[in-house]
Amino acid sequence: MDELELLKKDWVKSDDKFEKKSASQIYPMLLKKSSSIVKTLFYISIAELVFILFCNFIPFFVSEDYKNQFNETYNNGTFHYIILGLSYVVIVIFIYLLYKSYKTISVVDSTKQLMKNILKTRKIIKYYVVYNLFMIVVMAPYYTYLSLKTKRTEFDVSALSTIELSKFIGVVTLLTLITVGIVYAFYSLIYGILLKRLNRNYKELKKIEI
Amino acid sequence: MSKPLEQNFVELLEQHQNIVHKVCRLYTNNYDAHNDLFQEITIQLWKAFPKFRGDSKFSTWMYRVGLNTAITLYRKSKRTINTQQFDTVQFKISAEEYDSTEEEQLKLLYKAVHQLNDIEKALVFLYLEDKNYREISETMGITEVNARVKMNRVKTKLRTILNP
Repeated sequence: MDELELLKKDWVKSDDKFEKKSASQIYPMLLKKSSSIVKTLFYISIAELVFILFCNFIPFFVSEDYKNQFNETYNNGTFHYIILGLSYVVIVIFIYLLYKSYKTISVVDSTKQLMKNILKTRKIIKYYVVYNLFMIVVMAPYYTYLSLKTKRTEFDVSALSTIELSKFIGVVTLLTLITVGIVYAFYSLIYGILLKRLNRNYKELKKIEI
Repeated sequence: MSKPLEQNFVELLEQHQNIVHKVCRLYTNNYDAHNDLFQEITIQLWKAFPKFRGDSKFSTWMYRVGLNTAITLYRKSKRTINTQQFDTVQFKISAEEYDSTEEEQLKLLYKAVHQLNDIEKALVFLYLEDKNYREISETMGITEVNARVKMNRVKTKLRTILNP
C-alpha cells in the first residue's frame, strides 16, 4: 500500500482527536497581536525611516550650536540644498512605494505570490537603505571638507595642494566606505536571519517550476 | 470590527478548526508551538475575514490562509524548545482504537513527513486533505503538471526516508 494512502486513512480519522477550541477560547485570540514576518518587516522599515530622518533633521532643530555651525558651513550652498531637496523627494517616493507594496501583501494569495510580494517589499526597504549608504559615501568627503574649512582648525584644508586634497578625499572616502560596509553587513545579517526561511521556501517553489 | 461579523467568524472557525489543527500538526513538533501557530493562523484568518466574499467555501479559503501563515508568515516561537512529544499531548488516543503495529507504522510515517521541507509538507497536506491537483496548483501558485511531478518526487522521498 502507498505510504501516503495509509497516512490518509489515519488523517481522515484524526478529526476527532484534536483538543477542540471553544468559542470562549477563540474570542481572546482575535484580540492578540500578530507576530508575523510582515509585521516585523513593517516595524523595521518604519524604524529605519525614523532613524534616518532623525539623523538628518533632528539635530538641526534641537541644537542651537549645530544650527549655527550648519548655517555657517553651508551658507548659500546651492549644492547642499539640492541634496536636501532630493532626500525629501526620495523619502516621499519611498513611503509611497512601501505603502503600495504593503497593500499588495495578501494572505489569501497563492503561496508563491505571497512570498513574491513580501520579498518585493523587502527589496524596496533595501534600496532605500542602499541609497542612504551610497549618499553617505559620496557626501562624506565633501561635508568633511566644508566642515574643516569653516572650523579653521590647525589642519587647514584650504591650503592643501591638489595631490594632498585628493589624498584627503581618498582617506575620508575609504574610512566612510569601511564604516558603511560594516553597517551594511550587520543590516544584511539581520534581514538574512529574519527572511532565511522565506527565501529558502521561495527558492524551493521556484525550483519546482524549472 | 462589528460584533455580528466576529460572532459569524468564531462560529465558522469553531466548526472548521480541524483544518487549522491539521496544519499545526504538520508544521510544529510540540504542544506550545502548536498553540502558537494556531493562534497566528486565527489572527490571519480574522484579519482577512472582512474580505472573504463567500464565493469559495470557508474551508477552502482556510486552507490557503492556514498554509500561507505556516509556510510564509509565521516566525517560529521561542517556546519550540519545549521537547514534550506532540502526539502524546495533543491527541486523545483511546485504548480500544490503539493498534500497536499500525500505530508504529504511522508514527514512522509522521516522523518521515516531519523531515520534509515546508513546501513538500504543504503538498502532502493538500494531498491528505483530498485536494485535486488543480486546487493544489492554485493554492501553491505552481502549474498543475509541476504539482503532480513534485508530488511524485515527495512520495519517492518519503519511501527513501522510510527505507534508507
